[in-house]
Amino acid sequence: MSRAMTPLRYLLSEAVDNVKANRTTTVIALVTTTFTMLGMGVFLLLYLNIQDALGSLREEIKVIVYLRDSATAQDIAAIRAEVSRDPAVAGIELVSREQALATFRAQFPSEERLLSGLGDNPFPASLVIKVGQAYRSSEQVSALVQKLKMLSEAEEVLYSQDWIENVAAALRYLRVLGIGIGVVLAVSMVTILANTTRLTVYARREEIEILKLIGATAGFIKTPFVLEGALLGGAGAACALFLLRTLLGLAESKLAIKGTFWGMGRGLMFLPDRVTVAFLLLGIMLGCLGSMVSLSQLRGARS
Amino acid sequence: MIEFFHVAKAYNGRPALQDVSFKIEKGEFVFLTGSSGAGKTTLLRLIFCAEAPDEGQILVHNRNLSQIKGSAVPYLRRTMGFVFQDFRLLPKKTVFENVALALKVCGVSEGVLRVKAVETLGAVGLGHKLEALPMMLSAGEQQRVCLARAIVNDPQILLADEPTGNLDAALAGEILELLKNVNARGTTVLLATHNRDLLRSVLRRMVKLDQGRVVEDGCPER
Repeated sequence: MSRAMTPLRYLLSEAVDNVKANRTTTVIALVTTTFTMLGMGVFLLLYLNIQDALGSLREEIKVIVYLRDSATAQDIAAIRAEVSRDPAVAGIELVSREQALATFRAQFPSEERLLSGLGDNPFPASLVIKVGQAYRSSEQVSALVQKLKMLSEAEEVLYSQDWIENVAAALRYLRVLGIGIGVVLAVSMVTILANTTRLTVYARREEIEILKLIGATAGFIKTPFVLEGALLGGAGAACALFLLRTLLGLAESKLAIKGTFWGMGRGLMFLPDRVTVAFLLLGIMLGCLGSMVSLSQLRGARS
Repeated sequence: MIEFFHVAKAYNGRPALQDVSFKIEKGEFVFLTGSSGAGKTTLLRLIFCAEAPDEGQILVHNRNLSQIKGSAVPYLRRTMGFVFQDFRLLPKKTVFENVALALKVCGVSEGVLRVKAVETLGAVGLGHKLEALPMMLSAGEQQRVCLARAIVNDPQILLADEPTGNLDAALAGEILELLKNVNARGTTVLLATHNRDLLRSVLRRMVKLDQGRVVEDGCPER
């Protein structure tokens, strides 16, 4: 056990020594890493919140089937039974002609005169169909609408196809944009940490030469630098998460948008636990990668 | 133990070693001598694989160095100890840590490492300066730390490049005595020097280089 622990403890203490020995460089690297990770975090938070908000909007996706005035109660019951058998249908609500009139009167009391000119009750009965969660893609909704249009008693079928398609497209663009921004930020973070490692390697070049002479393997020489990168990346990610949480708290309290996000969804949410852990691991991974990029230029044992 | 067969090495077309051939047996104490620029350091660097020869073959422990992979070089170096004119100690590590590092890179356990490092530093007369930093030591003491680091692993070969170059005659004599003790324990010693007093004080085999060629090889007569 102690045989294994000795080098590990040594390598860790060397990594901490690297950090201590180059305090200014380390602080600069930590600050830039923090802000780079914060940039990624802000975008991730924005993406997840918009996705959540759009998800809740998608729950509102409804298809309205306006029925012919000639449809009898039996016809309507038959249509309801037929439609409810479709797996894409999560719920059906019947809005009678009387209910539609009452709703209009309640929403637009000033338009009462308009109604008097249109006779007794100009509103048709309708079926408001809620689309199941697994059937909300634009293609699936279109397919459902085509089926509903075939119903003999259906006068007109209305649904917001454009809106659904726009939502889907917006999410796709947002995801691509997020990946693009994430890649740019990740590359800049790797570059920053690679430069930090390069400076540390330069500062310790004589020590590295001595280690090579006394028979240290490449792993023994490089591991403290990789651990240093991991420490910086992890610390940067942790600081970024702390700042992100603080900023979110400020946004909620100062902008008074707690509870809902633009009136949609459950309000602003922080990164879920799994995403938080993945974010920390990403910081550590990018830190290691930055160090390894720099160390790949370190001359081999034959020097 | 160490064999050179028609070895040549040049830097930017300028020859550093030309057609060098010799053999050093196990347990020998050999002086490598010659004026500055004769090729002594290049020859040592070829032995510990810091350089590869342009021509010829080098065998160490019956292994052809030109066929050794880069990843195997550290393990070859663990069978050797190095002593340099400029000591090459780590300034921020204590005397003990400098010596212990040679054991640490080999994965020696903490307990064994402590015993061996203290024992070796005691053998070179520095048992009382374990916690001192190199800058707090005299040049002679720093060279003894360097020697302790070189022998703590019980190497089969000790390579010393002008180990007394920065020392006065008395301190040089002390270091030479220590090297002789190391040799007496069975370690092959190859000591590069142009110090004539040192060469005269010990009658051992001498390989003399001049402009990269071996011009003398033998034991001088008293």
